[in-house]
Amino acid sequence: MVSKTEEEQVNRLESQVENGGGGAWEYLCLVRKLKLRRSDKVLKFGLSILNDPKKRSALGPEEWTLYEEVAVAAMDCQCLDVAKEFTKVLQKKFPGSKRVGRLEAMLLEAKGSWAEAEKAYMSLLEDNPLDQIVHKRRAAMAKAQGNIPLAIESLNKYLEIFMADQDAWRELAEIYVSLQMYKQAAFCYEELILSQPTIPLFHLSYADVLYTLGGLENLQTAKKYYASTIDLTGGKNTRALFGICLCTAAIGQLTKGRNKEDKENSQLQSLSAVALEKDYKQRNQSKHSLLTATLKSLKLS
Amino acid sequence: MAEDLVLDTAIRDWVLIPLSVVMVLIGVLRYFVSKLMRSSSQLPDPKIVKEGQVIIRARNLRAAANFIPAKSFRARKVYYSNEENGLLFVPKGQAQNAQAQMFSDPNMAMDMMKKNLSMIIPQTLTFAWVNFFFSGFVAAKIPFPLTQRFRSMLQNGIDLSTVDVSYVSSRSWYFLNLFGLRGLFSLILGEENATDDTQRMMQMSGFGMDPSKSLSAEKDGLDIVQHEWALPKFEQRAEAVLRKLVS
Repeated sequence: MVSKTEEEQVNRLESQVENGGGGAWEYLCLVRKLKLRRSDKVLKFGLSILNDPKKRSALGPEEWTLYEEVAVAAMDCQCLDVAKEFTKVLQKKFPGSKRVGRLEAMLLEAKGSWAEAEKAYMSLLEDNPLDQIVHKRRAAMAKAQGNIPLAIESLNKYLEIFMADQDAWRELAEIYVSLQMYKQAAFCYEELILSQPTIPLFHLSYADVLYTLGGLENLQTAKKYYASTIDLTGGKNTRALFGICLCTAAIGQLTKGRNKEDKENSQLQSLSAVALEKDYKQRNQSKHSLLTATLKSLKLS
Repeated sequence: MAEDLVLDTAIRDWVLIPLSVVMVLIGVLRYFVSKLMRSSSQLPDPKIVKEGQVIIRARNLRAAANFIPAKSFRARKVYYSNEENGLLFVPKGQAQNAQAQMFSDPNMAMDMMKKNLSMIIPQTLTFAWVNFFFSGFVAAKIPFPLTQRFRSMLQNGIDLSTVDVSYVSSRSWYFLNLFGLRGLFSLILGEENATDDTQRMMQMSGFGMDPSKSLSAEKDGLDIVQHEWALPKFEQRAEAVLRKLVS
């Protein structure tokens, strides 16, 4: 995931280029390094560089990397003729290259000719069965066609080999959530938390899934993970604050009969309620009354 | 014996500097030759890739074990160290095979040989050249005092045992350059150049048995880990955070 400073840097460069100052090349390099998906900007800035023969020759051998980057961005923005033109240029320069072959297969995929793209990807995989990008594109294609079970299967097979790939785990988790297969989604989120325990997003999603699964133990665990999210974000994450309130209310409902849990962190709930109110008062006065009403109903139930 | 020998400046002009320049040039030459000779990117073996990834995943599990609930941790632990089909479990017989296979696989053996050759031959030649031309005299003085043990290593051509060990022959200058020019090469040739001998030497020693050994090492590490769920602590920390925020 991208760190905050890097994101700020990218945004700063973007606004700088947007307003006419130089630095388009640095912006493109940074986007490429951080693997961000800002295709419209990349396309605009990339075209401005590539269509100007002076600037293009100033790039030297990096020109071809830029062609590739802009071709992918063009495909993302559905400017297929631009993408086709650039792919042809690259094909002329590097005939028989696997990277260009991949671009061509991506072009087929962008056009929507699924069968041909699948054939192209399979032939690429024959040459190099360990090409991560091609594997992932096949899974993406399956998802785009709406064939979710196939997407799940391809992702699972991919993860059997490349089990340290975080993005794949994230994608799989999201697919599972969309299919309401929460237990599997919880497993994926656990993997993500294991690999990067300091990212609050994973804790939050894991807590959401646990809360949705329901059941006393899951609710208690979910509450703990909402708490860790609050800790990791310094209390600024509204969703986590809501999560705590909802969890406590749900736990209270489930354990209505037993009184021994009274001491359990009722402070946490009241504190998060207060924090929520403060937040809403600051940022969204109009909804504040709605919030107070909701919180009151939660405390009562 | 603290007598100071006065060294001829001609030594500096005709020995130290040419030797350094020659080594830099040879390094650059090797870089380009290795680029030319590199066979089209070798297809990594899927099993090795998978093992590498398994190791990363197992390591993550060990490192962050306290962040997931105990049940999930236990489930994963069994998944990894299970006797029949655990990911990290390598039956004894297979462990030997990795190395034997590596040597019998023609492609890999050729590649290793090429890499080794490109490293060994220039080193040997330069060393022989240095010994032939630049031996028998004192080349430089090391600014810090050394013990007598280094005498045989640093003063090969100088047969006077009374000379201070700080006065070394050109052989030691050659070794100094060999290890010291790595930084210079990474400046002029960019990262990842073929002259990184020391790195290669370290890699060579651990290459063959690497996968299976590290797997069993990871398994042992995983067996040792005690799971101590850190999340309850987080609740208290969250409370503290919120309290500060709200007050």
